[in-house]
Amino acid sequence: MNTDPGIKALFEPKSVAIIGATPTPDKIGNRIMDNIVHYLVGETDRKKGFQGKIFPVHPKADEILGFKAYKSILDVPDEVDQAIIVVPPQFVISVLHECGKKGVKAAVIITAGFGETGKKDAEEEIVKIARSYNMRIVGPNCLGIYNPHIQFNGTFADEAPQKGTLAFISQSGALCISAILHSNKVGIGYSHFISIGNKADVDDADLLEYFADDYKTKCIGLYVESMPDGRKFFEEAKKITWRQPIVVLKSGRTSYGAAAASSHTGSISTQDASYEAAFKQAGVYRAKEWFELFDVAQAFSTQLPPDGENIAILSNAGGIIVISADKAADVGLKLATLSKETVAKINEVCPPTWSKQNPVDIIGDADHVRFRKVLQILVDAPEVDGVCPLFNPGSRAVPDKVADAIYQVSTTTKKPIVCAFVGMDHLEAFKWLNYKGIPTLPSAERAVIAMKALVDRGKFLRRENVDSLTRRYEGCK
Amino acid sequence: MNEINKIFEEVKGQGRNVLTYEESRKVMELAGVPLNKIAVAKDLDECIVKANEIGYPVVLKVISEDIIHKTEAGGVKVGIKSDSELKKAYEEMMESVTSYHPGAKIEGFSIEEMVSGVEVLIGQTTDPQFGKMIAFGIGGIFVEVYKDVSFRLIPISENDVEEMYREIKGRKMLEGFRGMPALKMDDLKSLLLNISKLVEDHPEIKEMDLNPVMVTEEGLKAIDARIILE
Repeated sequence: MNTDPGIKALFEPKSVAIIGATPTPDKIGNRIMDNIVHYLVGETDRKKGFQGKIFPVHPKADEILGFKAYKSILDVPDEVDQAIIVVPPQFVISVLHECGKKGVKAAVIITAGFGETGKKDAEEEIVKIARSYNMRIVGPNCLGIYNPHIQFNGTFADEAPQKGTLAFISQSGALCISAILHSNKVGIGYSHFISIGNKADVDDADLLEYFADDYKTKCIGLYVESMPDGRKFFEEAKKITWRQPIVVLKSGRTSYGAAAASSHTGSISTQDASYEAAFKQAGVYRAKEWFELFDVAQAFSTQLPPDGENIAILSNAGGIIVISADKAADVGLKLATLSKETVAKINEVCPPTWSKQNPVDIIGDADHVRFRKVLQILVDAPEVDGVCPLFNPGSRAVPDKVADAIYQVSTTTKKPIVCAFVGMDHLEAFKWLNYKGIPTLPSAERAVIAMKALVDRGKFLRRENVDSLTRRYEGCK
Repeated sequence: MNEINKIFEEVKGQGRNVLTYEESRKVMELAGVPLNKIAVAKDLDECIVKANEIGYPVVLKVISEDIIHKTEAGGVKVGIKSDSELKKAYEEMMESVTSYHPGAKIEGFSIEEMVSGVEVLIGQTTDPQFGKMIAFGIGGIFVEVYKDVSFRLIPISENDVEEMYREIKGRKMLEGFRGMPALKMDDLKSLLLNISKLVEDHPEIKEMDLNPVMVTEEGLKAIDARIILE
C-alpha cells in the first residue's frame, strides 16, 4: 500500500485551503472556489461539490462564496490536507513556507511562470521546501486535480469529469479540458484526474502505486511530454502492470545527438527508441494518438483481456467488414476461423447470403434480433476469444435496440466485447453502452485497435503468469 | 571480472576512453562472447603461417593506431583463399595504407577467420533518461539504413530477448532464409544476457558494438567489437 500521506492528500483531501481565493467573479481564484463548492458535469448538471472543509485564504476578504476567509493559512484553525496555490509567482515561495509550517500534507501550485519559462532555480527551491517540510507538491503550472468520486474539482476549469474507473495524469493542462469534454460526451468516467504540470516534485512515477492500490481505478492513462527520470517510471510501472494496466501517450519524438554518436548502436538509438523499449519492457501500452489513448484505456478499464488471440468481427455493412479486415491485418489482430458448428448455427439465423466466414457480414437488412443472435453465437463459440460488433446505423436496425442487444449478450460472457457505432449520430445509444461498460467507438478501425490492445494485454498477463486478475475485473462487468 | 577491470584501468590510465580492437575483443572474450578465430602477425611470412593455422578463407586487417577507418584506408581485405591470394592482398594493402596515411605506424596485421552468414548487431548505449540500454537487430554496414533494431533496458530477462527478436522486421532472414544458417534462440539469449551482465557489472561502459555478429551453423560469432568507456 502507498502510505505517502502527501499523495493521499492530493486525491482524498478531507480539508482544502485555496490560497489566492478571491471574491471577484471570473478571476481564477474565484473560479477554483466556485468549482470546489459546486461540481459541474455537463452544462445543465450542476451537482453539489466537495463535502470536506473549505478554507479560502485572502489578505482582505472576510468571506468568499459563503466560506469564512483567512488572512494567512497559518490562521486556519483546523488541519489542512491540501493547499491549492493561485497567488502570483513572486509570492509562491513564501506561501509554500507558510504551508510547510502549517503542516499541510500536499500543495498544488496552479501558478505558472517557473521551469517552463526557464526559471529552473525557482523549481529547485520548490523541491527543497517540499523535502524540508515533508510536504508533497504538484506543479507548478498545472490545472489542478479532480476526484469525481468525492465531487472534488480543485481546478480552474468549470467542466468536471464524471465518476468512473480511469485514473488519468496529464502533463498538458489544456488537453485535460479537451479530454474531459470528449469523455463527458461519449461516456468515459474517471476515478482520478490530475494535471501534473512541471513535475518539480511529484512526478508520474510517484502516482502509479497509489492508483494501482486504489480499488476504484481499473486503468491508468498518461499523457506525457517529458520524463526527467525515465528509469524511475520504468521501475515503478514494471511493479504494477501485472495488476493494473497503464496506457501512455508520449509525444515529442525528436532524436538527440544521433549524428554525434560514436558507435553504430549510438547512431540508431534515439530518445524515442528508449521510451519505446521502456514501455514495452514494463508492460505499458503505448498509444500513438490522442483518441487511441482513451479508446484503449476505456477497453482496459472495462473489459477482461481475452484468454486467446482469435477475434470475431460482426457487422451489418459490407464496407465495414472489409475496412475492419484490413485494419486487423495491419495491426496483426488474428481473426478466428469459424468452426462448422458455428457456421451452421449462424446459417439458422441469417439469410443464405451472409458471409459464411469471419468477419461475419450479417447483411444490411439485419435487425437488432439478428444482431443479438449472431453476437450470442460468436461469444459462445469456443474458437472465438473476443468479439467486435461493428454497427452501421441508417439501416433496418434501431440503434437503441442494437445497443441493448449488445449489452444483453455482454452480461452472458467474460470474453471481451469492443463495439463501433460508426459515426456519432446515435450519441445516446453510444453513450449508454459506454456507461454500461462496453467500450463503443465511432469507427471500425478504432474498435479493432482497442481489441488488439486487449489481446496483447492478455498475452502479457499469460507471460507474467497472472490469472488472479480475473477477480479484479469481475466487479466491473 | 578482475581482468576486465584491469583492461579498463589501463585504458583510462592512458587517458583514453575508446578501447582498441584488440582490447575490446579481449573484454568480450572474458565476458563469454563467442568470437571468430584471430591471430596477430608482424610480417607477410608470419601472416601466411597464421592463416594456415586458422584455415582459409581469412580476412587480413592492418593494425595501426593511426588508422581509425580501416576500410577507407584499404586496410581490410576479405575472402582470401590461399597463400598466393594472401601475398597479393598484403602487397595491395601496404600500398594503399601508406598512400592513404603516409607515415602511419603499422604495428602489425591480424589474420582472422572469415565467417559468412547473416549479419546481426548487438550493442549497448547509455540513455540520459533510462540509463543502460541493450540493442539487437539486423547488422552489417546497412544498420543506419534499415534501423531494424530493438532496444531494452539493462538488465534484461530471457523473455525480453524473445520479444526483442520478435520485434525485428527482417527476422525472416534469421530463420534459415534461402538455406542460410538459422539463428538459435538459446545462442542469442546467452549472448545478450552475457552483455547485459557485463554492462551491469561494469557501468563505466558507455557504449559498445558487436557489429557484425555472424549467424553461422556453429552458432553466433562476433567478428568486430568496439567498447567506449564513460
